[in-house]
Amino acid sequence: MTATPVLDVSAPSAPVAGTPLRVAVVNGSPSRQSKTMGLADVILHTLGQILPVEASRIDVYRLGPGFTGAVERDEVTPEVEDALRSAEQADLLIAATPVFRGSYPGMFKHFFDLIDQYALANKLVLLAGTGGSEQHALFLEHALRPLFGFFQAMTVPVAIFASSGDFDGTLLLNPRVHGRIEMAFADVADLLKARAGSASKQATG
Amino acid sequence: MAFEIGIMTFGEITKDPVTGAVPSPRQRVRETIEQARAADQAGLDVFGVGEHHRSDFAGSAPTILLAAAAEATKRIRLTSSVTVLSSEDPVRVWEQFATIDLLSAGRAEIIAGRGSYTESFPLFGYALEDYAELFREKLDLLLKIREQNPVTWRGRFRAPLVDADVAPRADGATIPIWVGVGGSPASAVGTGRLGLPIALAQLLGPITFHEQTVELYRAAAAQAGHDASALHVSINVHGYVGRTSQQARDVMYPYFAQGMMENNHQRGAGFLMSRLAFDAQATPGAGLLVGSPQEVIDKLLAYHELYGINRAIIQMGFGGMPQKEHLAAIERLGTEVAPVVRREVAARMKAGAPA
Repeated sequence: MTATPVLDVSAPSAPVAGTPLRVAVVNGSPSRQSKTMGLADVILHTLGQILPVEASRIDVYRLGPGFTGAVERDEVTPEVEDALRSAEQADLLIAATPVFRGSYPGMFKHFFDLIDQYALANKLVLLAGTGGSEQHALFLEHALRPLFGFFQAMTVPVAIFASSGDFDGTLLLNPRVHGRIEMAFADVADLLKARAGSASKQATG
Repeated sequence: MAFEIGIMTFGEITKDPVTGAVPSPRQRVRETIEQARAADQAGLDVFGVGEHHRSDFAGSAPTILLAAAAEATKRIRLTSSVTVLSSEDPVRVWEQFATIDLLSAGRAEIIAGRGSYTESFPLFGYALEDYAELFREKLDLLLKIREQNPVTWRGRFRAPLVDADVAPRADGATIPIWVGVGGSPASAVGTGRLGLPIALAQLLGPITFHEQTVELYRAAAAQAGHDASALHVSINVHGYVGRTSQQARDVMYPYFAQGMMENNHQRGAGFLMSRLAFDAQATPGAGLLVGSPQEVIDKLLAYHELYGINRAIIQMGFGGMPQKEHLAAIERLGTEVAPVVRREVAARMKAGAPA
């Protein structure tokens, strides 16, 4: 199982009805105890208060030799194929990764090297990153956003960055980052609602 | 809470960059107690000993030094600065500080910190990857022990306690527990939520360095329902009180530069802090508390205005400051700086300025 379904991420306090938004989180962190996923949890939680969400998560560092050994798409194992498809078919893709050696890790890029060239065109993509200090914040704009520019994806204007000091372990504590996440989704709230379930309809129809 | 001024040390054992002499550990522990006595006699409010587990520091067991200081002093409060709580057993921490509290008739305090140095983790068998969780859990236990006896508690990193009798108890009502924070927003929020007093550590940089830290701390405390007037803020910073502006800088610079060389690395190696860079840190807009008594008074009042601090603890021995100069600075801090700052802050409070 490579695309792990995430348990109920919508806020218990604010149940929201309607067709769920299919969200795929692509996780570029090698750590099991991951600040990047701590950030992703808050992002999914915030999103769950706007509309119903059906989230899955792809840990690129856990995809194994069927992923790392594949140079072309047709060489991947069926599990990896499922993971790639869940990213390609999502209504919203959350690209979440730590900065490593000045950019996103190679393993993270390898995942997108295997993604179909046009599968992400016009897809909503939220950029989220973590780093050891604030000095890394612009890697989201200078490295991660151009990747999705190539794919002609529709990246959410506000990208989310959190540095190590914003976390207690993997728990995000800085209220300013929480506020930025809310702002990112508020900007595209109408689009999110319009797109809930639309990608899956296209995929099946 | 009246404004408090104190000093702290790690018992630095550093080669004197001027004479080349290295003090013996025996000499340094005696000098540390002598500093405590001098601070007490000069009328300072707090004496702190920090924790480093390295051959170039005498302070790996601060509680032992504080116990000795308790015997050499009468009025000064005695605190760790900091206790690296993540790699300690909170039961033992409480027992030791409660004992110091009895020895000193109620003068013991704890500043609990995560530790900016991490040597203690492998020494005591802790994993650095548990850094945050260790601190959270151990602080929780320490606060519970302070609050109730016997205590029942369960956690991940030590055996559970069931109706455990943790003794002795504090000499008075309680032992203050502060949290040392280096500036990470998460630490500020966590400390605010608990409503604990916060000790801001500042090495170098602008005097406004901790603006966000204090703002987040107060906001988190208010949100958690803690009384704002009960929140105490301390600044813990390097400095030196000289005779004159120039003399203070001339005395402090070679030692501070030596300390930076040995403790702050870039690309894995020490670097020499230039006099130009040091002098910049001594300007009114920067945080370093170095200068004539009047300059130090002005900067402490600026800190008070910025953050509403009610305590300042100054480390004046960094880089192996010779004992003679160190004692002279303690004397000036206690007799020339502290009385003026206390009076000015009291006047501000009376006039309804920021708490």
